[in-house]
Amino acid sequence: MGAHISIPMYQRAVPQRYRLIGQRCLKCGRVNFPPKAVCKYCLTGSEFENVQLSGRGTIYSYTIIAGGGAPPEFAEDARCKGSYPVVLVELEEGPRIIAQLVNPPGEGISIGMPVEAVFRRIYEEEGVIRYGFKFRLV
Amino acid sequence: MTISVISYGIYIPFLRIKREEYISALGSCSAAFKEKAVMDIDEDTITMAVEAARDAVAGVDKSRIGVLALASTNFPYREKVAAGTVIEALGLSNNILTCQHGNSTLAGTEAILSAIGLLSLTDQKYALVVVADAPASGASVDMEHGFGAAACAFILAKDEPGLEFEGVYAYAAESMGIRYGLPGETDLRDIGVKTYSNLAYNDTVRASVRGLLDKLGRKPGDYRHVILHQYDAKDASGLAKKLGFGEEQINAGLVFAKLGDTGACSTLVGLCNVLDNASPGDNMIICSYGSGAGSHALSFKLTGQPPKPRNSLKSLLERKKYIGYVQYLKLKRNI
Repeated sequence: MGAHISIPMYQRAVPQRYRLIGQRCLKCGRVNFPPKAVCKYCLTGSEFENVQLSGRGTIYSYTIIAGGGAPPEFAEDARCKGSYPVVLVELEEGPRIIAQLVNPPGEGISIGMPVEAVFRRIYEEEGVIRYGFKFRLV
Repeated sequence: MTISVISYGIYIPFLRIKREEYISALGSCSAAFKEKAVMDIDEDTITMAVEAARDAVAGVDKSRIGVLALASTNFPYREKVAAGTVIEALGLSNNILTCQHGNSTLAGTEAILSAIGLLSLTDQKYALVVVADAPASGASVDMEHGFGAAACAFILAKDEPGLEFEGVYAYAAESMGIRYGLPGETDLRDIGVKTYSNLAYNDTVRASVRGLLDKLGRKPGDYRHVILHQYDAKDASGLAKKLGFGEEQINAGLVFAKLGDTGACSTLVGLCNVLDNASPGDNMIICSYGSGAGSHALSFKLTGQPPKPRNSLKSLLERKKYIGYVQYLKLKRNI
């Protein structure tokens, strides 16, 4: 198994994985996602307030996973589809996050396309469905 | 106290398969849909439920939702409080009365009725009803040909204008051998006599619709729309005509041809399609059906402006990608 995430670890991240809860640094005001112990921007702030991210953003960069390149937890999806796109999305609130793109357009993906978060099954491990976010084109 | 639907959301998966794909692969297709919606490999009834519910709760004060009623005949877990996943995905209050309905396609209206009842037990103003279904069976079962997928969600409010609930009439009686599942089996069973299942459907649905009309002292002509459960292309419109409804009352609620059999969602997706085009004062009777058998007829009247969905059914039906039968089998993990 590639990136094993235990059930307790996944459970703790449910607010961010299920509904994109980020944290605003009370010192510099920037939004961290996923949440950090120390703000990744000012490197000093350690107090935060939770913020609900909109899930809207644009494609900053992307890649296509194919030809056996998928990590084991995504191997079943890859076998079914042949390949699948992974995008780096710049959210409206600032953070850049990585996730899969669902329903990829036939004409191809391009940088700058607007996307929004959707709720999907990410993978299944130990018989437990790991839900989380992916993105789709708006 | 009045109870009204003040907001709703619909979700239809992006993938579609046409009936011709079945005919070309299998030589025949047992269901008369034109095309049907298919869940992607990373979708299940809970992901569809969350998508529909997100649209329904947009614009509503989520902290005032005191009831969550979920329904599906095909939950991803056989035992688990699925409502917990939906609550976290939507950021609802954790102090919420929940219920889950399944085991037959009657589950959708059961959830609505439960929510109406549970609203009297909470000080909160709103109930969220989410019905997400994708009936499933092995590919070798003829019934499977018609099985589609959809989800819809409704916010019910105390004492607010909207689609006001006017009353219900329910009917249930023993009806053996039609569309049933045994514990531990993934295939659904049916004795396979179409005339017999039509008869059961007609008798069961007729009893509730007539019962409700009598109870409210109304005639079919008093309604703008009628929406009956659709497990195939013709039964609903055939029965509605026999009951005295005309085509102009029936047509807006027919969704089988474009979606397939959406199980517990069937009547409610039809209701959403009617609401997408409704005007103040419109009224409608809906009747669900579950084999075995039972039915619920509910009457609604639109007081005030119709709620506007974020995505209409029409717009969702236009967003699609067609797949072939072999790809369909892969998505269903049959091959």
